[in-house]
Amino acid sequence: MASEIESSLEASFSNSCVVPGASGCLPPARSRIFKIIVIGDSNVGKTCLTYRFCAGRFPDRTEATIGVDFRERAVEIDGERIKIQLWDTAGQERFRKSMVQHYYRNVHAVVFVYDVTNLASFRSLPAWIEECRQHLLAGDIPRILVGNKCDLRGAVQVPTDLAQKFADAHSMPLFETSAKSPHDSDHVEAIFMTLAHKLKSHKPLVLSQPAADGVALQPEARPALPCWC
Amino acid sequence: MALRCEQCDGPTCSRWDGGTQEADFNTKRKKKVAEIYQALNSEPTDVAALRRMAISEGGLLTDEIRRKVWPKLLNVSTSDPPPVPGKDLREVSKDYQQVLLDVRRSLRRFPPGMPDEQREGLQEELIDIILLILERNPQLHYYQGYHDIVVTFLLVVGEKLATSLVEKLSTHHLRDFMDSTMDNTKHILNYLMPIIDQVNPELHDFMQSAEVGTIFALSWLITWFGHVLSDFRHVVRLYDFFLACHPLMPIYFAAVIVLYREQEVLDCDCDMASVHHLLSQIPQDLPYETLISRAGDLFVQFPPSELTREAAAQQQAERTAASTFKDFELASAQQRPDMVLRQRFRGLLRPEARTKDVLTKPRTNRFVKLAVMGLTVALGAAALAVVKSALEWAPKFQLQLFP
Repeated sequence: MASEIESSLEASFSNSCVVPGASGCLPPARSRIFKIIVIGDSNVGKTCLTYRFCAGRFPDRTEATIGVDFRERAVEIDGERIKIQLWDTAGQERFRKSMVQHYYRNVHAVVFVYDVTNLASFRSLPAWIEECRQHLLAGDIPRILVGNKCDLRGAVQVPTDLAQKFADAHSMPLFETSAKSPHDSDHVEAIFMTLAHKLKSHKPLVLSQPAADGVALQPEARPALPCWC
Repeated sequence: MALRCEQCDGPTCSRWDGGTQEADFNTKRKKKVAEIYQALNSEPTDVAALRRMAISEGGLLTDEIRRKVWPKLLNVSTSDPPPVPGKDLREVSKDYQQVLLDVRRSLRRFPPGMPDEQREGLQEELIDIILLILERNPQLHYYQGYHDIVVTFLLVVGEKLATSLVEKLSTHHLRDFMDSTMDNTKHILNYLMPIIDQVNPELHDFMQSAEVGTIFALSWLITWFGHVLSDFRHVVRLYDFFLACHPLMPIYFAAVIVLYREQEVLDCDCDMASVHHLLSQIPQDLPYETLISRAGDLFVQFPPSELTREAAAQQQAERTAASTFKDFELASAQQRPDMVLRQRFRGLLRPEARTKDVLTKPRTNRFVKLAVMGLTVALGAAALAVVKSALEWAPKFQLQLFP
């Protein structure tokens, strides 16, 4: 499995944008791109979270995501312009297996989302983590855990200490938030910006311009980071 | 390009500026209505003619006609009593929670002015229909997006008839999407790039180098565009077309949309994110009649049987496990050892000149051809045989390459 992904990465680097007539390849934008995939059960609020961060507000209404949706936002970190790409995935299990795989390519970070009012969505997390482990070449890319829908205080089924224990066991920082609550809008922002800062301080990120050789783009082994937030 | 005003469901339309044009439109429309009723009333029903009507300009025109013709296209008897649930399906169905979540969130599928109470009633019916069909057909698996198809039938023909029609559709046109895995769906998506390649190699190569994949078209395919088009009139017009045609027609239509947006795609940054983002945002003002006609042309010109090898190669390029497919019998009959070489030198062999006039050739009997193709494959076992044989070719091809 891993070797297959590796070779497909190689292929993607070596053949990128060398096709004659592919005029759209040039000129290259030099801003760095952070590609983040957002996964978790159906209806936990993946679309709302990504929309909140990219559009700055809670969407009026969202529908089931079929396949993969993509949202993007340019931010400036320490004077550097960075594009944050959020890949919002379908929650239904059948889509993960053969469909979403393609979109795990070259991912820099993973956001696992569960719904604090839905214990089942929390219980599914080990399966999502395993899924992710199978798809990703480097097992040590930053991962965070987000408990969404904190505004529904009366309906909480996943206590914070339980979630924190789980997050610790998997070496992930935990954020509890609400994509909907206006009070938490800064919080959603902070979650993704924290992630972006973390990514920025780590070296091996793909530039939007293809490098001359693929070697520089190979993800490097990094020590595991038990807590970095 | 001159376009008929396909948005109109009635003779009064503000986009008709000239009185003569309007009169002409009304005459054509009346003529078509008369022809449809003639086909409906002939003994036996002239299903072939109804298919032609569903494909040709304007489709079936009104929901009143659709209520009569859609059952004929699906060979469903309207006099048979509709299936009834035997027990409380909401208690026992393993899919209930997912269906509930998806239907609750599908507000956009209902007419904007509809009172909440009425919409909520329809949503309950929608859940019941889906659960009933799943219960009666344990081989079928629910997928997110299925509800977008069912709601279209519910809104046009009502709960009782919708159940019968969607059940038939689910065991035929939608069967591949409802397998336990989405491998067959992925295979069907693999037809997209070869179709584009036949017509516009430059666009194809650009998309390949961007590695955009085909997931941008997934919701188009498995919802018959119901998930992505906001104007219901466009959705039902497409359903007329797809109901009358081969089950793979939606992927041809997807290809035609991409081809129509050629310039936008080529102007895009050549990367996965940019191209995926552009293509997944479907324009709402597409020239539907023109695109339907082009999709029909492409289907006749490059039928699925001719694209099977390319679709298989696509599959191979994506290195998907071959082990998911069990039956290689059909595939072996279609082996072509020269495929590898053909694929490798594809760039050199590409017949540029031929592709140029694909869309300009007059195709006089197109609707007849399409209707016949639809007729022969859309219903009964033949449909599955055609799709399956196309699909099952792929793993065999891979086995050849990687023994």
